[in-house]
This record gives sequence, structure tokens and C-alpha cells, in this order.
Amino acid sequence: MSRDDRLRLAFVGLHPARHRDLVARHRTAGAVLEAIRAGGVDGVPPAIVRAPSECLAAVEEAGAETVFLGDGGYPAWLAGIGDPPDVLFVRGRLPDRMGVGVVGTRRCTGYGRALATGYGRAIAAAGWALVSGLARGIDATAQRAAVEAGGSSVAVLGCGVDIVYPRENADLTTAILDGGGAVISEYPPGAHPLGWRFPPRNRIISGLSAAVVVVESAVRGGALVTAARAAEQGRAVFAVPGDVGRPASVGCNLLIRDGAGPVLDPADLVEALSLVLGPPAAAPVTATAEQPEMFAQTGVPVDEFGAALGLHGSELLALLGRLELEGKVRREGDLVMPAFEGGR
Amino acid sequence: MFASVTSATVVGVEPRPVRVEVSLANAQRETFTIVGLPDTAVREARERVRAAITATGLRFHRGKVTVNLAPADVPKAGSAYDLPIALGVAAALGEAPRSCREVVALGELALDGTVRSARGALAAGIVARQRGQRCLLGVSALAEGALSGAEVIGVDSLAQAIAVVAGTDPGTTDLAPAPSPQDPAVDLASVRGQEVARRAVEVAAAGGHHLLLSGAPGSGKTMLARALAGVLPNLTEPEALDVAQAHAAAGRPPFLDARPPFRSPHHTATPAAIIGGGSGMPVPGELTLADRGVLFLDELAEFPPYLLDTLRQPIEEGAVHVARKGASVSFPCRVQVVAATNPCPCGFHGDSRSPCRCAPAAVGRYRARLSGPLVDRFDLRVPVHRVAPAELLGPGGEATASVRERVEAARRRQIDRGVLNRALDRDALDALPWDPDAHRLATRAIERFDLTARGWDRVRRVARTIADLAGDDSANADHMAEALGLRGAV
Repeated sequence: MSRDDRLRLAFVGLHPARHRDLVARHRTAGAVLEAIRAGGVDGVPPAIVRAPSECLAAVEEAGAETVFLGDGGYPAWLAGIGDPPDVLFVRGRLPDRMGVGVVGTRRCTGYGRALATGYGRAIAAAGWALVSGLARGIDATAQRAAVEAGGSSVAVLGCGVDIVYPRENADLTTAILDGGGAVISEYPPGAHPLGWRFPPRNRIISGLSAAVVVVESAVRGGALVTAARAAEQGRAVFAVPGDVGRPASVGCNLLIRDGAGPVLDPADLVEALSLVLGPPAAAPVTATAEQPEMFAQTGVPVDEFGAALGLHGSELLALLGRLELEGKVRREGDLVMPAFEGGR
Repeated sequence: MFASVTSATVVGVEPRPVRVEVSLANAQRETFTIVGLPDTAVREARERVRAAITATGLRFHRGKVTVNLAPADVPKAGSAYDLPIALGVAAALGEAPRSCREVVALGELALDGTVRSARGALAAGIVARQRGQRCLLGVSALAEGALSGAEVIGVDSLAQAIAVVAGTDPGTTDLAPAPSPQDPAVDLASVRGQEVARRAVEVAAAGGHHLLLSGAPGSGKTMLARALAGVLPNLTEPEALDVAQAHAAAGRPPFLDARPPFRSPHHTATPAAIIGGGSGMPVPGELTLADRGVLFLDELAEFPPYLLDTLRQPIEEGAVHVARKGASVSFPCRVQVVAATNPCPCGFHGDSRSPCRCAPAAVGRYRARLSGPLVDRFDLRVPVHRVAPAELLGPGGEATASVRERVEAARRRQIDRGVLNRALDRDALDALPWDPDAHRLATRAIERFDLTARGWDRVRRVARTIADLAGDDSANADHMAEALGLRGAV
């Protein structure tokens, strides 16, 4: 199978499952390309196949490199999953050992962000690469925390590596690359972030990781897909428990019920993973020592806050104003909550 | 042969006297001309007046009849000039006393000489009061005319009108009950829980600050807006008359009520219905009906952005200028704006009991709609939450009456200084006395909360109102802290 053909087939941008099926049926990437050119593949116009030189130019323009399955640079632990991508487009540097996946909902709460920050820092301190999907919410928060703590991180995208999605993470992308991490994708440069592209990429997040931690997840969501892939791939799955009935934690609690390991503290995670990944570079700081407020409340309604202190109207508001000013509390809608360090 | 009678018209919402001049001349052919920018309805008065005079048993001039409605450059509309024109014609012919010129008359005539009420009774009453004259109206318009405080007399027919002028008939002076005013406001005592929002309502009312309430559906935003209208000070009599005039100019039955108006236009209302307009002579919109009261914009994000942009300048200036083919007029709109919005499309963002079901980007887009020049003018933006069942059963808060007393005292302090705190600009704020402690707190707040210059002005205006509520000349650190607390997290 020629590398040119494999690259050109990757540039067709098929759904990963379809890609695999076609290669299995036609034996080689070249044969698949022939079939496409002959108009024999439903829904794929023959004109979509590009010349090798065009593909190479696009890769170069994106500032990326290609890593083929079977190459020395292709992570062996990713190659070992049942359905590894044939080609990876890589900006930055792939990690030389397994990382730790941290994933969660895009609709996270302030509490979830604080947790994600804690796990991001701990993983960075341990010297492990944090693998995630650069999505809004938990993903980006954890990756940002890791990078800011001097760690390395791998972002697995659901679009081309030359496209920043969501756009607000442009600075984070730069920081990841500057921090010696990588932004990777199995989709060719120029591929748009379409909805169907995201679920398949989750197998790469888990495939690059020794374990996946789900920080916050509702009853459905991409984080649970990642956890399921991780379990299929034989990776450890951890989840951070939450109050029963708390919507943003239902997914995590279900995972624990179904056998995922509960983690109460980043130190738990680091200790558990040191058996697989080797001793951490630095001893983990326990969240309880460093961020006691992280395990405090998830916010109380303003009125309850006032009632607990016996304050009303004017005095309550003056106190809130002062506490906010001193960075002790934060308000989100009608809730008063501890002002988490690193909460955004 | 010449006679004149006074009547009235409305320019914008202002009543203006109209002098109805009648001149008779000899001519071969019978003519009847009305000049002075009459519209079709006024021009048709010729036929009604001629028939009414004949039906009353008076003779009609067999020659040239000219009626001038002065001032001649103000457009006149409607059927209200029938009665004064008929009185003028009768007086010029000697069929009615010359003292016709000492009354203000307004009404439509039926062909048999019956007087019907017409629009403009309140304006006629106000003109009559200003001139110290009696006001002749159709009987059913009597209550409206009486709101002006003038001496109003109801007449059934042209014959009776002539008799009243001649002093041989007293006319009708029994007033029908005045139309009932608007819905009563919500008493603050019935608002449970909501510590932050209750205080925000008090502060907003005291300083005249525009208020934005943000919260889930069913959190009581409309109730709080109505409660705010309730804690505003009573209107003075001239102010209440302004409100009545605005209603009359909009073609609604006017009423005299000491409580400030509360208007709540729907977000699907047309710009003309809200700002004022219409074809021909402009008619005031909701903005002017809310003059000296509260304009409540529910579901603020659903209003078309250009409409909100258009509202900014009138609300700041207290007057809206409307130019139409008929005329260009100014309507007053000294309103306090209270707006309500959901925090996101589903309404539950930041709610402590239900999760938000919106995509994160959708929340951002929704909030982006809540910015712009008008929303920039809201000094107070306050989150409102749904009340927990326990609170519903708990005690209510302080009643409107006692809050209103504080609000009135705070407003008096502001009026002594010159303007409502809402209208304080940066220079005026700088010139006010601030405790050094307040300034130290403020400096930290600017850094910590990354306040813009405008945001900082807003905090200072609110702090000043809180000091006024406390009766302090100089705003101190407590006032400043509370103003920061009221910044909330919308």
C-alpha cells in the first residue's frame, strides 16, 4: 500500500468507519481510490480525490506532519486499539508514552471547572501528558490548567489541525504547541468541524491514554462515549462522583455504578496511575490541602446565604459586594459560590 | 356679520386653543367654506352644521359663509368642531347671543341637532380652564372634560347649547363616574424571598434607575416590575394631568390617577405603537403612555434590536420627536424602564433547581442580544430566582407603603440637588462628596472586576442612591459595597 495512496485516501475525509470498511473490501488504499474514481463508491464524487502533491502541500501549509500506522513514530498503544486511524495529522510533538485523558461536558458548572483545573494541574505535575478534545467546558479547562502548570497536553480534534474550533481556544492551541504538546487529528487539514466527526475521534483520546477521567457529565454526552471506548480498549476509566440527582454529575455517577473507579481527589488518580505510568515526577498535592474550597459547596441561593447569616437586603448586599471584591465568593445567576482559583 | 367661538385641538399631547371665526357675506350663490387646514371630517362639518341649524328651527344664511379655524397653520381633524361652527354661524346671524365667544365648545352634531361627544374633551377642558371660561361638551364627554378642573357643562342639542350661552338653561352638570384607572400595583409585601431583587426595586425606584431583571420563567419578574411602579411616589396633580393628556391624545379614555402609569408593550408591537406615529397626524405610543411612570419591556431579548436602539435617545432625553406627513411633533416620555429577560433561551441558566438545556454557544449568542446602547443605560441588572416552596410559605417582606416613604425622602434629596441620580453624568458624579473609604474600596473594585468607565459610573450612581435612601450627604464605603453587591451576576 503506497503512502501516497493512503494520504490521498485520508484526504477524501471519509467517516473513519467507512474508511475502514472500504479498505477491508478493496484490500488497498489505491484500490479504494480506483473505485472512487470509477464512481463505484456511493456518495463519494470521483472528483474529490486529490493529487499527492496537493495533499502534501496542504499538510505543509497547515504546519503539520503525517504519521502513518506502522511508522516508528506512530504510538504503539494507539496502534493496538481495534480501529486505529491509518494516518494522523500532527502539529507539535506526539508524546512518547501513554497520557491521561480528562474529559467532560461542555455545559460544565463552576464546580466542574474547578475540578478540571485540579486534575489538569496534578497530571501536569506528575509529568504525564493530558489528552483531551479541546472542547469548551471541562476539556479546555483541564488542558489549560495542565499547560499553565508547565505540563504537556495532546488535543485530539474533530476537524483539520489547521482549524481552531471552538475559536475561543486559539490561544490555548498556541499554548499547547509552545508547551511541547500536540494538536492532532485523523481528518485532513481543511476538514470542517461537522457533528459526525466528533464521536469517532473520542477513540483516539482514549487510545492515547492509560486512563480516562470523566470530571462532569450529564446523562448523555461525548465524555461517556470516550469512557465506553476506553473500556473497550482496556483502559482504566475513572469518574468524579457528584451529588445524586445533580444533573451535571449523573453521567459520572452512572459510570461508577457500572464499574468505573471513583476518584475523590487528584492524588487518588495519580496514585492509581503510578502503577501503570511509573512514579510521578512530583508528589501530587492533595486538593484538600491546596484548595479546600474545591470540595466545599457548589453554590447556594443568595437568599439562603443571607438567611444563614441572618442578613437581609442592604446588609446582605453590602457583604456580598465586599466578599466578591476580596475574591472570596463569586456569583452565578442567583447562586453564591466560593470563588475558585482558576475558575473562569 | 361676524362671530367667533373658541374650541381646542391637540398638538402632540399639548392642548391648544382654536378660534372658530365665522364671517357671513352677501352673494348670489350660497357657499359654505371652511379654511384653516381642515381634514375631510372637518370639511364635512358643512353638511352636518347646515342640517342641524335647519332642524333646530333656525334660519341659515342665504349667501357666502366662511369659517376660519385659527391658528391657520395647525392641522385640524375630526368632527369636534361641528358645535363651535354651528354656534358661530348662529351668533353671526343673530340667532344666538354674542357671548358665544366666551365659551369653549366642542362636539359633533347629528343632522337633527343632537350633540354627540367627540375626541378632545380633555383638551377643551384644559383650554377652558386656562382661559377661565366655561366648557360646553356632549353629555357623555363630560367626565373626561371635568378631569381638567374646568367648569364643564353638558348639552344635548344645539338648541340647548344656545340656551346655555344665553343663560336660560343650566345644561347638565351631573358627572358620570370617571373611567376607572389601571390595574392596582403589586404590593411588595406579597413578594416572598427575593432579598436582592426587593432591594434592587427599592433602589431603582429611589434613584429612577432603569432596571434589568434576569431570571427563569416563573421567577416573578413581572410581579417585581409592578411592585416597582407601586413604590414610586404619587404624581402631583399637574403630572397626573400630563398622563391623562397622553392617554387622550392616543385616543384612549383618559383618567386622573395619582399612581404613575405602568405600560407593558408586547415585543411584537410595531415601532409606531411603541414610539408613536401613524399616518397623518402622529399619535403617541406606549412610550408616551408610560410618561411619568414605568415602561416595562418583558422578554427584552425578543424586541427587535433596532427598536431598542431607537428607544435609547428618547428615554435619555425624556421626549420623542416624531415626524410624519401631517406634522412633526414631540411627545413627552419621562419614563423609568424596567426590563425582564431570561438568562438564556431555555431560561434556566444559573438556576439553582433546574439545569440549563442550552448549548453553551447559544447562551452566549442570547446574551449578546442583551447589549447595546439601551441596555447600557440600565444602572441595575439583577438576577431573580424562582422562590423555593419554603419561602412561599414564609413571611412576606416589608410593605410597599413603608418602602415608598423612604423612596419619597430619597427623591426629595435628589430634587434638592437638581436631578434624579439616573441622570447624573460623569462630571456630576465626580463633583459629589465621596468618603475616602468609599474611594479606596472603589479603586480595588475597578481592578478586581475590570470595570469600564461606564460600569464605574453605574456603580457610583447606585451608591449615591443608596446613600440618599440612608439620608447621608456623603456616600461611604458601605454604600459603595452594597452598590457592588447589586451589580449581581446577570
